[in-house]
Amino acid sequence: MKALQASTSYNVGFGISAAAPPPRPSRHRHVILAQVEPTEKSVEIMRKFSEQYARRSGTYFCVEKGVTSVVIKGLAEHKDTLGAPLCPCRHYDDKYAEAQQGFWNCPCVPMRER
Amino acid sequence: MATTVAAGVHGNGAIASSKSVNSLRKLSHLSSLQFPTQLRSFTIRNQTFKSKPTLHLVEAKQQTLSSFVDVLENSDRPVLVDFFATWCGPCQFMVPILEQVSALMKDKIQILKIDTEENHSIADKYRIEALPTFILFKDGKPCDRFEGAMAAEKLIQRIETSLKVEQ
Repeated sequence: MKALQASTSYNVGFGISAAAPPPRPSRHRHVILAQVEPTEKSVEIMRKFSEQYARRSGTYFCVEKGVTSVVIKGLAEHKDTLGAPLCPCRHYDDKYAEAQQGFWNCPCVPMRER
Repeated sequence: MATTVAAGVHGNGAIASSKSVNSLRKLSHLSSLQFPTQLRSFTIRNQTFKSKPTLHLVEAKQQTLSSFVDVLENSDRPVLVDFFATWCGPCQFMVPILEQVSALMKDKIQILKIDTEENHSIADKYRIEALPTFILFKDGKPCDRFEGAMAAEKLIQRIETSLKVEQ
């Protein structure tokens, strides 16, 4: 999904419609157990947000659903801790300041301009 | 100075790891790795290294800047550093690819992974922005830098091209 894609050269996969079931981590993907997990509520919110954005922008989630799942969780985690879904695919000097400023809040400006 | 260690550090400096390749991929096990001042005999992934270690693929957390620079300068091979974050999808996508590349190129390079959330000052020093960012260090100095996830073949190509240019 383009909105969830970092500003990297990683390619978005194709193949699912907006009505597809929510992304599940692929069985072939390794399990990610981080120190802090986002709340289920935030994950659900960001999942719906992501699906809606994909629908509206005519884009698709990554063919590797595990990747999508990680990004959605990252957005949720930032929403929990910073109050806004800051892009999880970047390093920031001051996350709180960035979340307030908004440039990198999902959907971030670079993605919206693509 | 040294970072804290992954599961099973013994008093004499040996690091015993029972990680299989698969469990290595579980981030909960990818915790810190210690770089003792004098690296003696230690075990990583069931392989024992004597004196000068040839670390296969290493993830380090909570490194000090000086210990990180130490690793870069004292490495016998160029070091590819992967700056990543836990919740960065493309970074996680690269985990098995880096394993693969690390195995294929183990005589040519060492791969070091830096969690930018745990090593903020190191990430700041190298002005990391997008994740993943890869920096190839030769003799402790950056000689190539690129961003984004990519297939193993492309990564190998990029590394080999950079190493050739250096020569």
